[in-house]
Amino acid sequence: MKMAVDTAIGHGTGTLPQIKGVKEVPYDELFVSGHRTCQGCESALVMRHMVKASGPRTIVLGSTGCMYVANTTYYTTPWVVPWMHTQLGAAGSAALGTAAGLKVLMRKGKIKDEKINVIAFCGDGGGADMGIGAISATLTHKEYNCLVLLYDNESYANTDIQLSSQTPYGAVTTFSPTGSKRRLMHTRWKKNMPGMMAAGHPESRYVAAGCAAYAVDLMNKIRRALELGGPTFVHTLDPCPKGWDYHPQYSQELGHLAVECGIWPLYEVVDGVVNLTGPTRQIAEGRKKRKHVSEYLKRQGRFAHFVDEDIEHFQAEVDKTWEEWLIPGVIPFTIPQKDTRILNIDKKKPLHAEATA
Amino acid sequence: MTTTQAPVAPAQQNTSTDITVEVVYRGIFQKTLAQRICRGVVLAARKSGHPGTAFARYGDSPERNGVPAKQFAVVAADDTQLEASMARYEPSVVDVTVAVDDTLVKGVESWAWYGRQPIWKPTKADGFVIVTSDKSPDEVLAQTDKAERPYTLAIVPGGASFAGLWVYKDDHTDWRVLGAIAKVAPEWLPLQQVKALVREQTKDETAVASVQFGHDATVFRPVAVGEGTSGHEVLQFEKPGWTTMRPGIVVDARKPGERNPFYKKYGARTQRPVVNFDTCIKCTMCWLDCPDECFEVTPTGHYEVVYEACIGCGICAQVCPVKDCIVMVDELKFDENQDKWQLWQKDRAAYNAWFEQKSGVSAEPKSKAAAAATGGDD
Repeated sequence: MKMAVDTAIGHGTGTLPQIKGVKEVPYDELFVSGHRTCQGCESALVMRHMVKASGPRTIVLGSTGCMYVANTTYYTTPWVVPWMHTQLGAAGSAALGTAAGLKVLMRKGKIKDEKINVIAFCGDGGGADMGIGAISATLTHKEYNCLVLLYDNESYANTDIQLSSQTPYGAVTTFSPTGSKRRLMHTRWKKNMPGMMAAGHPESRYVAAGCAAYAVDLMNKIRRALELGGPTFVHTLDPCPKGWDYHPQYSQELGHLAVECGIWPLYEVVDGVVNLTGPTRQIAEGRKKRKHVSEYLKRQGRFAHFVDEDIEHFQAEVDKTWEEWLIPGVIPFTIPQKDTRILNIDKKKPLHAEATA
Repeated sequence: MTTTQAPVAPAQQNTSTDITVEVVYRGIFQKTLAQRICRGVVLAARKSGHPGTAFARYGDSPERNGVPAKQFAVVAADDTQLEASMARYEPSVVDVTVAVDDTLVKGVESWAWYGRQPIWKPTKADGFVIVTSDKSPDEVLAQTDKAERPYTLAIVPGGASFAGLWVYKDDHTDWRVLGAIAKVAPEWLPLQQVKALVREQTKDETAVASVQFGHDATVFRPVAVGEGTSGHEVLQFEKPGWTTMRPGIVVDARKPGERNPFYKKYGARTQRPVVNFDTCIKCTMCWLDCPDECFEVTPTGHYEVVYEACIGCGICAQVCPVKDCIVMVDELKFDENQDKWQLWQKDRAAYNAWFEQKSGVSAEPKSKAAAAATGGDD
């Protein structure tokens, strides 16, 4: 029997219906203007969309990073909803603790029994590097309703752009400057954070990868995570004009390119079922051609030192995620030909068949 | 009233013990540029045996794109004087202020909570404010806060260089500015030594020529007390001391519908979006994709820019599907911060004339289809 009583709060209340199009996006701002972010900050846009989607009955918790420092320093804040700072690496713990605290207060009748969304956000440094253990632990505590949102600008951008585990292959950061002796100082591939969270936490009902350049898609993912309840995880890719070195006006365009080049697949895993969304689905279905990564790389100063060889390597690695992975862009295993039958995989109809033809 | 001869005021003989130059710049975009200028000042002064040091203001870190930041170069007669002048967190009085983007003369609202300050705020009486600009000194002065002390405005010809962070797109702004500094402070920075330094560092005679050009082409405009504008918004806040902060460092949340009144951020703007409401198709994209929540929906369903909240990133103009519906325009062309939909509503012809004059593009809808798409709200 399912633990219906234990997880009742916040489940399937229907208060956060899916948004059908841009005209249905809530008008109220719960994260207002006057934040200390860069021009063209996509992470600020993620914050804005996040609380727009979750509504006013939301508590947000932020671990140290751009979205903490930029939004609450010097005794002033743009948050309309309650917000609390938590340490680097503690987003998962703060989410779980807050959800547990609310649950107890409601059970004891000290506060009204109602749906309160708990969202803890962290950057790629605070989440994918330092906070991964706590997030992982939180995703196993199925009786608490909380969302961990990782806003990923691919470096420790707040402290002036140091390398993180989410920094893409070859990118320049203050820790990986290009030089005459060595062109590439960073040669590790980006950690597959949402895939890892989805694969490793069977009882988390919702894990998604989104991008604010696809605003409605992102808001719907936030809403679905909160509606399904339990501990959930959403990872967004946020173009960062500061660390990526491009003009701020191109933030949306770079978000689109990351998805259209197949570098950042959009998907969600709902109760263990993978659902590709947006252009990622179109690419997988062969309705849209995956763009060459050079279109994305050449727009950014952090890849300006790339020679053709580096671009080709980057393209080959992205191709691999689409052509060889068990689930394109999501689950990074390849299967020996002899095992496709016992693993019940129909190699004749790969998802990417037409896209790569 | 532009004059090109060097002003009489600056110290002809070197009686001071040190000189401080500050470079005010657009965060991240011009960080490398500011570094190169400050380093150039120190290294050139070293050639005459003067020790010096270059440093960035601590409060500006971490820098944000477009948000004004400062770096300093301090040069002194000897080590003891340098140490004495270094015992400061941030120089409160400087001899020379350099603004490497002319829109910074509209005021400096720092990342840290200082409110908006006039560009000349730390400049000493009879000091210099050097601005890189392709405008005339009087045009620049018309946007500068009313002077409380006399100073000399010096214009180095050239547009703002957004030289970039990882990739430094060199347009010789650094060399031209060093030439201009050599002109206003020859006792510390003789032109010959600046040129020698640049020749040594770049082995490029065109760079040396840029130093000479900066020196020769810089135009002076002495500014008397009271000259300038009083049109800019005063933004000064009382900073809470530790005794007035609440336990747990509780900060009041914003009320729904409110904007953060303590940090407005429009000082980060080098360009502002102007909207042609007649061609707007009300697609919502500008409003949806604005990272600074600066668009308001009007009763007609149009989206208007709240200039008090706009930081000029340009995303709205980029995502707008209609050509020339949102145009980014040089911030120095504006001397007010009023929202514009009301004007359009009251007098469309006047609004469209304003739009055309500012943006330089026609306000006429490009096609009948575009006109039809906006015609429904009359």
